[in-house]
Amino acid sequence: MQDENERLELLAKAKQLVAHIETNDAEATGELLCSMTIDRERSLFKEVGQLTRQLHDNLSSFALDEQLIDLTGKEIPDAKERLNYVIEMTDDAAHKTLNAIDEILPVTVEMNRKCEELSVNWKRFLGRELSLDEFKVMSGEISHFLDSSCANTKIVSEKTNEIVLAQGYQDLTGQIIKKVINLVQNVEDNLVELVRISGSQSDETAVQNETKKGVLEGPVVPGVVVEGTVNSQDEVDDLLSSLGF
Amino acid sequence: MKILVVDDFSTMRRIVKNLLRELDFTNLDEADDGQTAWPKLKAGGYDFLVTDWNMPGMTGIELLKTVRANPETANMPVLMVTAEQKREQIIEAAQAGVNGYIIKPFTAATLKEKIDKIFARSAG
Repeated sequence: MQDENERLELLAKAKQLVAHIETNDAEATGELLCSMTIDRERSLFKEVGQLTRQLHDNLSSFALDEQLIDLTGKEIPDAKERLNYVIEMTDDAAHKTLNAIDEILPVTVEMNRKCEELSVNWKRFLGRELSLDEFKVMSGEISHFLDSSCANTKIVSEKTNEIVLAQGYQDLTGQIIKKVINLVQNVEDNLVELVRISGSQSDETAVQNETKKGVLEGPVVPGVVVEGTVNSQDEVDDLLSSLGF
Repeated sequence: MKILVVDDFSTMRRIVKNLLRELDFTNLDEADDGQTAWPKLKAGGYDFLVTDWNMPGMTGIELLKTVRANPETANMPVLMVTAEQKREQIIEAAQAGVNGYIIKPFTAATLKEKIDKIFARSAG
């Protein structure tokens, strides 16, 4: 339709041009020719402009698609893997620690029991209440206690070191989580850019104010403000007692 | 007294069980979510339930509601030990009939205090 109009317009101008030439109106002929040339150039520029714009848009959306494909195809699955590894490492560290404590506790309980027993007899010895035979028995017990103490304190220090080493998970998981935070930031930037390019108008406030009912927030993370949360066990107790608990 | 400890993280189950053992509760069993806990509770023999909230399958609040809805388990004391600390959730748990609510991370003293309170009440 547009082409037909242009054709008719051009035809009218051509007829006008012929008429001007036939009446030998040099001035009007020159003016009409000039205006027709300008029209021609204008539409050419417009078309070149449109083509350039299209090419630019195609190129930039292509680059974005590449990035998104990389993010969804590789980096996000990687991040899931990393976070699973965080769970695995923390699980492992907690069990290592608890295992070490399981070995330390009975040793210290036994040492404490023996200590108390010996100190009763030792006080009796200092008060000269111990017979020679009882003293001989106590000497043997002290020798045995000293030997076992050497072995037991060695166990305690070895296991304590294991607990210290197990805490290394904090450093490692921290590094992994930081990487995932960067990735999330990257995804966010790309999505914002995608929304900008596609030109769709998002109702930001509506999204922000949407209540997330039924969503479990989990542990409160310092620096992340979640409305309507309590900050301590005391606040939980206060809330419950206000409800008649 | 037989206690069922329900949490999807094995370390947390272990920590809670260790603390309960320190408090002289030795008859302990565990489950990793509501779905595995409920058949155990339904079969009977348990006197006390300690449960997390956020678990796959069946959550702690669903388990609590199920326990209260069933005549055989309706009166069982339930202690919730969870990282969920939104006011509306604590109120929801209270309305569902929870007997105690502890937020993670918690101390041995808090656990002892809440358990003592629950049993002082059920005894009185």
